[in-house]
Amino acid sequence: MTTLTHLEKLEAESIQIMREVVAETENPVMLYSVGKDSAVMLHLARKAFAPGPPPFPLLHVDTRWKFRAMYDFRDQMAKEVGMDLLVHINPEGIEKDINPFTHGSAIHTDVMKTEGLKQALDHYGFDAAFGGARRDEEKSRAKERVFSFRTAQHRWDPKNQRPELWQLYNTRKHKGESIRVFPLSNWTELDIWQYIYLQSIPIVPLYYSAERPVVERDGALIMVDDERMPLEPGEVPMMRNVRFRTLGCYPLTGAIESDADTLPDIIQEMLLTKTSERQGRVIDHDSAASMEKKKQEGYF
Amino acid sequence: MSTKHLTPEELNKRRIGAVRRRLDGQTVAVAAKQTGLSAPTVSAAWKAFREGGWAAVPVRPRGRKAGQAARLDGAAQQALVAWLAEPAPAGEPAWSSAGLAAALAPQGHEVSSRAIEHWLEARDLKPAPLVLEGLKRRRSTAGRWFRQRVEPTLERVSRAGGVVWQGGVRVSTPGEAVAGEPRRYQLYLHGKRGRLYSRCLAAPPKADDYLAMFERLLDQAAGKPVALIFHGACFDPVPEVGRWLARNPALELVVVPPDTARSLKA
Repeated sequence: MTTLTHLEKLEAESIQIMREVVAETENPVMLYSVGKDSAVMLHLARKAFAPGPPPFPLLHVDTRWKFRAMYDFRDQMAKEVGMDLLVHINPEGIEKDINPFTHGSAIHTDVMKTEGLKQALDHYGFDAAFGGARRDEEKSRAKERVFSFRTAQHRWDPKNQRPELWQLYNTRKHKGESIRVFPLSNWTELDIWQYIYLQSIPIVPLYYSAERPVVERDGALIMVDDERMPLEPGEVPMMRNVRFRTLGCYPLTGAIESDADTLPDIIQEMLLTKTSERQGRVIDHDSAASMEKKKQEGYF
Repeated sequence: MSTKHLTPEELNKRRIGAVRRRLDGQTVAVAAKQTGLSAPTVSAAWKAFREGGWAAVPVRPRGRKAGQAARLDGAAQQALVAWLAEPAPAGEPAWSSAGLAAALAPQGHEVSSRAIEHWLEARDLKPAPLVLEGLKRRRSTAGRWFRQRVEPTLERVSRAGGVVWQGGVRVSTPGEAVAGEPRRYQLYLHGKRGRLYSRCLAAPPKADDYLAMFERLLDQAAGKPVALIFHGACFDPVPEVGRWLARNPALELVVVPPDTARSLKA
C-alpha cells in the first residue's frame, strides 16, 4: 500500500469534501477571492472533477477596492479555467460610495463583503458555498466546522455546530439553511505554499517580493495601488521591498518587508515566521473577537 | 607586486631578505624578483636600513594599538543622532561624515570622519551608490532606462557644466551590535567620488524634507543645472513635489524605476 504524504492526504480530504458537496447539495458555488487559498481551492476543484470543469460557478464578491493585480489575475484565471465567473458588488455600497477611508474598515467590510455576499447567495439561490478559510488563520476560524451551517439569515451559531467525526459530514439542511464549506480547513499556510510550489499553481504576483510604493499607517505598510488612496499632507510613498501574505482590499491589507521573490524563498520565510498571516489585515483588529462577530453576521 | 596580501611577519622577513641581497651587491630589480616584493618596496627597505639600521627595516604594526581607537561616547552619539535628524549647516546638502566629525570637535570629541563612517555603517546608514557603469550596453529594463532617461539627462547637464548627484531614501536595519537601536528613515545623496551625505529621521520623510534637500543641491550648484538620480520614493502622487520641480527646471530628477535598483547594486 502506498503511503500518502501529508500534502496528498490533505489534497484527498479536500477533494472528498468537494465531491460530497456536489453530491449532496443542489446549487453549490465556489467563492473566489483571488488569493492563494482560492487558487489552491480552484486547483483542487479542477482535479476533483477532471476532465470536465467543476460543476459549479465561481463567485467573486467584489468591493471595488481590491488590488489592480488581483482584478487582472481574476479575469485571466476565469478565461483559463472555463468556469462561469459571477461578480457581485453590493449596489447599495456603490450608491452610497462606501469605502474604507471615509466609512472605516468595519462599515466597509460589513456593507461590501458581508452584505454583498448574503445578497449574492440569495440572488442566485446557492445552498452551499465553498470558501478557502483555514483553521490556522484566526481563532474563530479554528473552531468552525468544515461544513458550517447558516440560518436563512446567513447567521452562524458557533455554539450549535455538528460533529464531524471520522470525516463523516452530516449535510442535511433545515428549510432555508445553507452551508459554508471549507475544504482547506485543515491546511496550514505552509501547506498551502508547499502545495502551490509542488503543483506550480499560478498566484497573484503580489505574493512575491518586489519594490512597491507604500505608506505607513498605524504600523502597517499600505500599498498605494491607485490614485484613490488619500495621502496625508506632504506624505511621500516610499518604494520598499514588500510582499503580501494575505490579500484583501488594498487600503486594509498590510504588506510585510521581505526579499522573498521565489516560492522556495517564501516557504523558507514561512518556516521562520511566528505571526499569523492575518496580522496584516486591518479588519481583524477592529475589536476583540471581531472576526467571530463578523462571522456570526454572515462574513466568511 | 602587491604586498597587501602578506602578513606583517612575512613582509618583514622578505624586506630583511631584500636588504641582505642588496648588501650582497644585487640590484633592486633582482632583489625584488627574488623576494617577490615590488621594486619600490625593496628601495624603501634599503633606504630604511641605511638610515636606521636593521631595526628600521621591519614595517610598523598595522592599525591602531588596542585602546587608541577614537571613542564615540553616549553624549557624542546622542549629538550625532540629533544632528542627523536636522538639516545640515548651510553650504552642505546634508550631513557628511567630515561635517559630523567637524561638528563634534568643539564639544571635545576629536574623532576622524572614518570613525563616523564606522558608526554609520554599524547602523546600516552607509548605503553604496548605484552602479551605473556598463548599463549602456545592457539589454534589460535597467539598460533601457539608462539609455532612454539617464544618458540624455547626464549629457544635457554635463554640456551645461552642471553636476550629477545620486540619492535616495531607505529604511535602515541596524546591525547586531546595535540591535536595540530604532530603524531610521535615511535621506541620502552621493556626490563626487561617491561621498555620502545623509539626513536620518525617526518617521518617513515628508515632501518638505525632500524639497529642502533638493533646494540645497541647487544652492550648491550656483545656477548650474543639477541631475539627480533618485531611488526609493514615489513622487507621482505628491503634487507639492511636482509643482516644485516645475518651478525649478534646473534640477532634473530621474527616478529609478521599481525593481531596477536591485540590478544597480554593487
